[in-house]
Amino acid sequence: MTRFIGRYLRELVNPRYEVRAFIHQCYTIGYSSLALIGTTGFIMGLVLTMQLRPSLIAYGVVSQLPVMVSLAIVREIGPVISALIFAGKISSSIGAELGSMRVTEQIDAMEVSGTNPFKFLVVSRVLAATLMLPLLTILSDAIALYGSYLGVNIKGHTSLQLFFSDVFDALHYGDVMPALIKTFFFGAAVGLIGCYKGYNSSKGTAGVGLAANSAVVASSLAIFIIDLLAVQITDLLGLN
Amino acid sequence: MKKNTNNDIKLGIFISAGLLVLIISLYVIGSKQNFFGSNFYVRARFANAGGLVPGNNVLYSGIQAGTVSDIEIIDDTTIEVTLLLNKKIKPYIYSNSLVSIGNDGLMGNKIINITPNSTPASHIEDNGLLMTQSGSNMDQMMQTLSYTNENAMAITSELKETTTRINNDNTLWTILDDTMVAKDLIASVANLRASTARINEMTTTLDLILKDIHQGKGTIGTLLTDDDIANDIQQAVQDIDRVAVSAEVAIRTLDSTVQQLRTGMTTGGSMAHTVIGDTAAANSLKRSLQHIEKGTDRFSESMEALQHNFLLRRYFKRKARNEKGKE
Repeated sequence: MTRFIGRYLRELVNPRYEVRAFIHQCYTIGYSSLALIGTTGFIMGLVLTMQLRPSLIAYGVVSQLPVMVSLAIVREIGPVISALIFAGKISSSIGAELGSMRVTEQIDAMEVSGTNPFKFLVVSRVLAATLMLPLLTILSDAIALYGSYLGVNIKGHTSLQLFFSDVFDALHYGDVMPALIKTFFFGAAVGLIGCYKGYNSSKGTAGVGLAANSAVVASSLAIFIIDLLAVQITDLLGLN
Repeated sequence: MKKNTNNDIKLGIFISAGLLVLIISLYVIGSKQNFFGSNFYVRARFANAGGLVPGNNVLYSGIQAGTVSDIEIIDDTTIEVTLLLNKKIKPYIYSNSLVSIGNDGLMGNKIINITPNSTPASHIEDNGLLMTQSGSNMDQMMQTLSYTNENAMAITSELKETTTRINNDNTLWTILDDTMVAKDLIASVANLRASTARINEMTTTLDLILKDIHQGKGTIGTLLTDDDIANDIQQAVQDIDRVAVSAEVAIRTLDSTVQQLRTGMTTGGSMAHTVIGDTAAANSLKRSLQHIEKGTDRFSESMEALQHNFLLRRYFKRKARNEKGKE
């Protein structure tokens, strides 16, 4: 895996760049995941608001609902849930696709034909995953906050302006930037693990399934480990 | 090829939307913390920062004005807090504005409040030092609450003692259990209510009377309001004054006369002394008066005899008829 990451970094900076393949992967990985991740974000915002509301009413701080929901979504729930959904959809997809190409010897054929399969298949996918997940997370957070606004208004009444004013009053760069930065690592981990599992899958149809499955499991675990490390680092930097 | 173009457009919109949301969010968050636009710094020194941290909000008369930029220890009794304020509010901040540390709600973050001072002063300069005042902090509130609790404890203790004494006092319970007392009380209240009603009526009547008097109706009203009567009374008083002066003169004259009489009686040369003091002269005067009385009686008899005389009878009858005719 370490050698795989090292090769990825070398191929990433070395020309020639597969721009067309990268744009195609951005569409497949990023745009195609928007509906799923946006829906998940909306539901998370709505559900989180409705779950928190009774507890905040019990403490008499229901007016702090936008503050709590926005902090929870932007700092933790938005990035992690988006990354997990992203891992479930993209990592398995990449693992199965590259595994199939390995099983059907398409990768070997590319090497024989003089095309760099690693740059064409792996670098474009990992880079696309690295850059698309932060965008998906930003949009998912925005949708989740709108879902939270609807959740607040199901049993109460708060204007959209007041809600987002409370949200932005509560948020600081120290909340947004670490969350945004760690999504790059989440995306890179999902792309790298998916590609690694697929690129190095064993022969046979069972190997494809195993590559897809293990890619999802390993990606999800990697997301939590990276999140743990990110929290420790932001805590050390005094951004919590 | 066309499908690729459509996909590229969709991807472009997706990326643009994501970046737009990110930029707007960062701009709004930054503007809330005065990262954009022109700002200026002011300083304030406190003895106790009270948990203030950089990034806490600064309010000017309750309006978001900036954030706490830096907190520095100057010496063991002075903490200097640097405030980053929006330049828009600079014209409203004077060098005597008061800075205090407060709370954003009961459980909220610490905030800095800048309060304008009513006395005139110059505008604050960049990095100028503002005056501070100690605000209410949680410790002071807890101390006050503790004092209140002690008072409440003392009051409840006394109340408990009073209640115990009331419970152990048979007299009070006897009174409370006695239905006659309740009836008497009800009757007293009814009487009180009736009396109050009558007092109300009396007050109303009195009010009407006072109104009538004020309007000059009735004798008292006329007396109080009629100018002619007032003039008459004034005239009468003046007359009384004059009579009093005359009386005083008369009394003086009488006094003088009495004085002379007394003097005459004392000296013995006067008529009064002769009449009052000399017994022989008094007796002689008495006899003379008796003689005059007798003479008068004889003169009356003579006149009666003359009326019956034939020479003068006609004269007296004519006189009597004339007097009768006049009546």
